Amino acid sequence: MSEVPDPEPVHTQVTGPGAVLESIGDGSVTAPLPHHEIDGLTPGTVFVPGSAEALCAALVACSSERLAAVPIGGGTRISIGETPERYDVAIRTAGLADMVAHNHADLTATVQAGVTISALQAALARHGQFVSIDTPLPDRATVGGTLALGTSGPSRWHGWGIRDVVIGMKVASPQGELTSSGGQVVKNVSGYDMSRMHIGGLGTLGVIAEISLKLTPLPAGQATMLASFRRPADAFAAGKSIFHGLAWPLATTLLSPVAAQKLRLVRKGSHHLAVRVHGRPGTLARMVDEISAACRDNDPLELDRLDGDDHEGIWRAIADFGWDEATRPTASLRISLPPAAAGDVLASLESAGAARGLLPAVVAHVAYGSVLLHLYSPSPQADTGTIAQVIADARRLSRQRRGSAVLEQASPEVKRGIDVWDGAGEALSVMRRLKDQYDPQRVLNPGRFVGGI
Amino acid sequence: MANRELIDRLRAITGHDYVVDDLAGLIAFEYDGSVDRSLPSAVVLPASTDEVSGVLKAARDHGATIVARGAGTGLSGGSIPEQGSLVMSLTRMNRILEIDPENRLAVVEPGVVNLDLSLVVAEHDLYYAPDPSSQQACTIGGNVAENSGGPHCLAYGVTTNHVLGIEAVLADGSVAWFGGRTAEIPGYDLRGILIGSEGTLALVTKIIVRLLRRPESVRTMLAVYSALDEASAAVSDVIGSGIVPAAMEMMDDLAIAAVEPAVQAGYPAGAAAVLLVEVDGLAESVTEEAEMIESVMARHSPLEIRTAQDAEERMRLWAGRKGALGALGRLAPNYYLIDGTIPRTRLVEVMARIKEISAESGFPIANVLHAGDGNLHPSILFDERKPGETERVLDIGGQILKLCVDVGGVLSGEHGIGIEKREYMPYMFTEADMRAMAALKPAFDTRDALNPGKIFPQGSAAGELAQLGPVARTGPGAYL
Repeated sequence: MSEVPDPEPVHTQVTGPGAVLESIGDGSVTAPLPHHEIDGLTPGTVFVPGSAEALCAALVACSSERLAAVPIGGGTRISIGETPERYDVAIRTAGLADMVAHNHADLTATVQAGVTISALQAALARHGQFVSIDTPLPDRATVGGTLALGTSGPSRWHGWGIRDVVIGMKVASPQGELTSSGGQVVKNVSGYDMSRMHIGGLGTLGVIAEISLKLTPLPAGQATMLASFRRPADAFAAGKSIFHGLAWPLATTLLSPVAAQKLRLVRKGSHHLAVRVHGRPGTLARMVDEISAACRDNDPLELDRLDGDDHEGIWRAIADFGWDEATRPTASLRISLPPAAAGDVLASLESAGAARGLLPAVVAHVAYGSVLLHLYSPSPQADTGTIAQVIADARRLSRQRRGSAVLEQASPEVKRGIDVWDGAGEALSVMRRLKDQYDPQRVLNPGRFVGGI
Repeated sequence: MANRELIDRLRAITGHDYVVDDLAGLIAFEYDGSVDRSLPSAVVLPASTDEVSGVLKAARDHGATIVARGAGTGLSGGSIPEQGSLVMSLTRMNRILEIDPENRLAVVEPGVVNLDLSLVVAEHDLYYAPDPSSQQACTIGGNVAENSGGPHCLAYGVTTNHVLGIEAVLADGSVAWFGGRTAEIPGYDLRGILIGSEGTLALVTKIIVRLLRRPESVRTMLAVYSALDEASAAVSDVIGSGIVPAAMEMMDDLAIAAVEPAVQAGYPAGAAAVLLVEVDGLAESVTEEAEMIESVMARHSPLEIRTAQDAEERMRLWAGRKGALGALGRLAPNYYLIDGTIPRTRLVEVMARIKEISAESGFPIANVLHAGDGNLHPSILFDERKPGETERVLDIGGQILKLCVDVGGVLSGEHGIGIEKREYMPYMFTEADMRAMAALKPAFDTRDALNPGKIFPQGSAAGELAQLGPVARTGPGAYL
């Protein structure tokens, strides 16, 4: 059911180590495309399994031939992670694109990993449902790839992260075994919750093949309240007051001046606050009142309600921001903080970037403590040292507030000198043992995850 | 009994009084909410992370195994030291270390009683959402071990959806944080792996939980049906209509007959089933959702739909639900409580099939269930003094669990696998699935010291079922 809008892959004759993949019946071997490149490295072979069994067979082949395999969904955020130690084969999940089941009366669905987020949401919407997964470039991003990254977007039902909507999973091990955990019901404590290893695990312990999800009825109505403020502190104060208030919006997102400008928001003032409200008519009206009151208490310059396409458009643009071609930054950090701490760092993050001659765009999802810092270099040849300095400053700020900052986008030169993951603390020894248990030959994504896993 | 040297070393860590090794004292720790019993070799009650770490190092040096224990309200034998393990009771670690209303989180020790946290944070208009029926007794540490649910998990999710970070001690005594104060943290989600791991991977010493804003408005409704089918269909229909209430509970005629004389909740006599439905949130949202739910429930020929008029009536309706299991003792000397989840679309047929199983076997089965989640709790009533009854009841329990799995459901919705259901795991998982799960253990617990023997089948599946014997029953005072 899924549409994969990539260019038509070109079938090539593979020689060398990748030739073993040619013998797998249900799948195709293709030449690499530009978005399969990671930090300047290109795989020798791209394999597109047509079934979970073919995925397993490919992994067996990679294991026996000692080939390093990188699972790829839509390839939309392939820059995340350390530069791979080795990159022999890209395994694209585009051929695993079946919507296995949509049990709409039960609010659950099971899909193969290669289904795109847009295709999934469109299918669910036919029964008035959605899954609380919000991700950049959903027309290309896949369910499997999004889960492997594990990070959540601006809109979150009940504040859930994407890990909170997964109820079951099938995973292909590097040894070629397909195993299941969880189930297709919303409440389940039968055995270890194995999906947790793979959500945010960057495909380093196994390749996600199939996912069961908990669904939510689509809200009866939605709208956006968009306010602009003179000072960042006012915008943040309004956001914080909404976080502590009675309304529980889907998203509360603060945008710095550069972010607002890149998103083409033409409003007076510097910092903007966009709030996504939802519900049946009475609820929606009340939410609008609550949000408006919180904004008015903090001296807004403008306060508007957006509906229809304007409402949809702003959230698509915010989620895509920093990942689509038009807004792709020179470097990008994803900072996670306790929610109240985000206010302290906003101005500092902006000035840290600006002081070094970079254009900083800050997007803060206020209720979740999630802050994205996109840095734009005015010159095409950005100075590696300058960017590294800003990253170090931002990381220091976030650590002081018990947070972390992951470098999601940067040139290979910048990445070379930096731990992109910002460490994994005391838990790293257990993480290494997990890798030893599940992928002892380091077939999957070697070197890309925390601590060189 | 543990060896003298180990006991002395434990006493040096926790102080003399906090190591129990006399028979009278040990008996208090040989049970949980099931009626399985097994004496621990000793019980140690540490008061801090350092002490937990010290105890684990001492246990390592003496080759002892450890079973963690919260309030002992578990229903699957998870805290039973069946191999004569050392029991670590975490009830002394019961401090709420920090309440951070600005970030809407709290840092608690594992022995904090679930309900106490919500009572304490109420002054900030906050609460902790997971609410197991045992919440007046059970601990948050125990909730983490079992990934506990509760009636209000229907809308807001279970324990794992509300825990941000965990400090835990590994079997070698090392201490580490898994997760933290932020929603996202680099690395594998070991927090998520530990939650629901039934104390087999690490011992939890601090928990950072997410707190929710107390809703502005709450409405509780009771719908009364003359046919079980209609009540079941109403549940499926509400969920299928795209409404997820905060809670949606069901009780059948037997459960009503047991609880009404005991609690006087106001459930009408002669009803085949009642639904207890709650919605919360903004006042407008409560009104809108309640109207919709009422109209869907009305399609299924209810005898009555009643809305609680005040807090007192609301509490009374909930008292009936929460007192249901305890009241079953009025109907029979023993009951075996089963916990399984099914897809919510299969409620009508599965509830009907459970009634048939009851009729065929001659054992009455009372049903109290988290219907909105599809989480069933059939309780088979019996008398263990009658020869052969226990074995037959266990067999019926197995049939019902198999039925759950056969319709696309699972072995346990919220009580865990523990001892009780480990032999049933092959109903649901292949050898390869279980092997992949079991491979987690050595990454955390290299010497299989923590809660050994739980979750996974002990031998070849079916032949071992008979050995479960008295394990798989639920004792008086249990909760669901």
